[in-house]
Amino acid sequence: MTMNSDQHILGAFDRDLEAVQALIMKMGGLVEAALHDAATALTHRDEELANRVRQGDSAIDALEEQVHAECARLIALRSPTATDLRMVLSVMRIASSLERCGDYAKNLAKRATVLVQMTPVGGSSGSIARMAKSVQVLLKDALDAFIQRDAVAAYRVRQSDQEIDQFYNAVFRELLTHMMEDPRNITPAMHLHFIAKNIERVGDHATSIAEQVIYLVTGEVPEGSRPKADVTSMQES
Amino acid sequence: MNDMRMESRVDAQTVKIEARKVQVHYGTTHAIKDVDVDILDKTVTAFIGPSGCGKSTFLRTLNRMNDTIVGCKVGGKITLEGEDIYDARVDPVQLRAKVGMVFQKPNPFPKSIYDNVSYGPKIHGLTRSKAELDEVVEKCLRKAALWGEVKDRLQTPGTGLSGGQQQRLCIARAIATSPEVLLMDEPCSALDPIATAQVEELIDELRSQFSVVIVTHSMQQAARVSQKTAFFHLGYLVEYGETGEIFTNPKDPRTESYISGRIG
Repeated sequence: MTMNSDQHILGAFDRDLEAVQALIMKMGGLVEAALHDAATALTHRDEELANRVRQGDSAIDALEEQVHAECARLIALRSPTATDLRMVLSVMRIASSLERCGDYAKNLAKRATVLVQMTPVGGSSGSIARMAKSVQVLLKDALDAFIQRDAVAAYRVRQSDQEIDQFYNAVFRELLTHMMEDPRNITPAMHLHFIAKNIERVGDHATSIAEQVIYLVTGEVPEGSRPKADVTSMQES
Repeated sequence: MNDMRMESRVDAQTVKIEARKVQVHYGTTHAIKDVDVDILDKTVTAFIGPSGCGKSTFLRTLNRMNDTIVGCKVGGKITLEGEDIYDARVDPVQLRAKVGMVFQKPNPFPKSIYDNVSYGPKIHGLTRSKAELDEVVEKCLRKAALWGEVKDRLQTPGTGLSGGQQQRLCIARAIATSPEVLLMDEPCSALDPIATAQVEELIDELRSQFSVVIVTHSMQQAARVSQKTAFFHLGYLVEYGETGEIFTNPKDPRTESYISGRIG
């Protein structure tokens, strides 16, 4: 009897695990697209695209439900242990993170439809578009690390969330300046600020997905608080 | 927060049985190779591994059951509370009173329920009167969670009980000599899920008084009843650790493959 194979003796077990992983990838694809489209709708002032993003969120929510149902079934029928058990646990948390990211994309799209009716504020939507772009890359890297079971790549994602935080700090200051310059900017700037904050939250979820990947691969939860660079809660304006 | 700890944690750290560099040969077959293990007191230790990995063989070295097998040679050192059990001065019969055993198939003597339990204390001269013997029989049947079911028919044959009851009778018989260690070789493999659950509950209760070592093919059973798990493969002890750790994050890839149901 030789050991150390990737395959279970019971083939159906492998098919179940693969099916759950496929659901996560489908969710990830939808969330990445929603973020991309919401950011595009914001910069291009495209109300129709924004509405499509808002409608698309229910599909992401349904996938999360499906992942949870599949995981419950796996636990009940297969009694997963070791890596299999960690896979089920991490997949459930990754699905929850992705679902939250979908909600943030939806909120971004909702605010984009409001902003279409208002005068644009400076070049802020450009900085926000760049921030959204970076966060999409981060999310994609976290999901790639999951597929590749690559803890090193996951650690890298955990480190790079700082860049998103720095982006957010810059946008925060920029918006404050616009609001102080002209009070008529306050309403759109507040919307833009919430958008930036939501994108920053997506970065946090990408980090938590990366942490799940580290747990899945190594069996250990990464130690120490992760690097944070969001300083807006500490400074006075 | 002490009362909030997980029940499955090991409480006692006292070593009951210490095995060092244990070898077992059956003729030319080297069945157990260099096994080092500390079996803790008041703890359930599970031995798991594929068929032929040596787990039952190793279990049987702990009360010298292999002595009876022709061509079987045991090397290395096994001590029970510091005393070498393979020392020439040790009487294997006395040893087996201290290290009791329960087998895969319930094997009650073809005698009454009462006689099954009283046999051990009688031959070892552990009781002085009939009243005392009655007391031991009742106590052991109670511990084995069988008393309620058999108290009105103690003189009927033990073989007339159901499979699950017979196995609990064998456990009562094994604990009647007040052993320090209880070895169980697949004690539930012939039982239905209800009887299995009853025996598992019993094992959990017994660990407050004994050190229990159980060989099982059911990974879930090992996970349910034990605090320590040892994984055997090809005669080697591959990994030994806390059960919770073995089942969530095993260190050796062979353990991982086995418990998650993979082979190549």
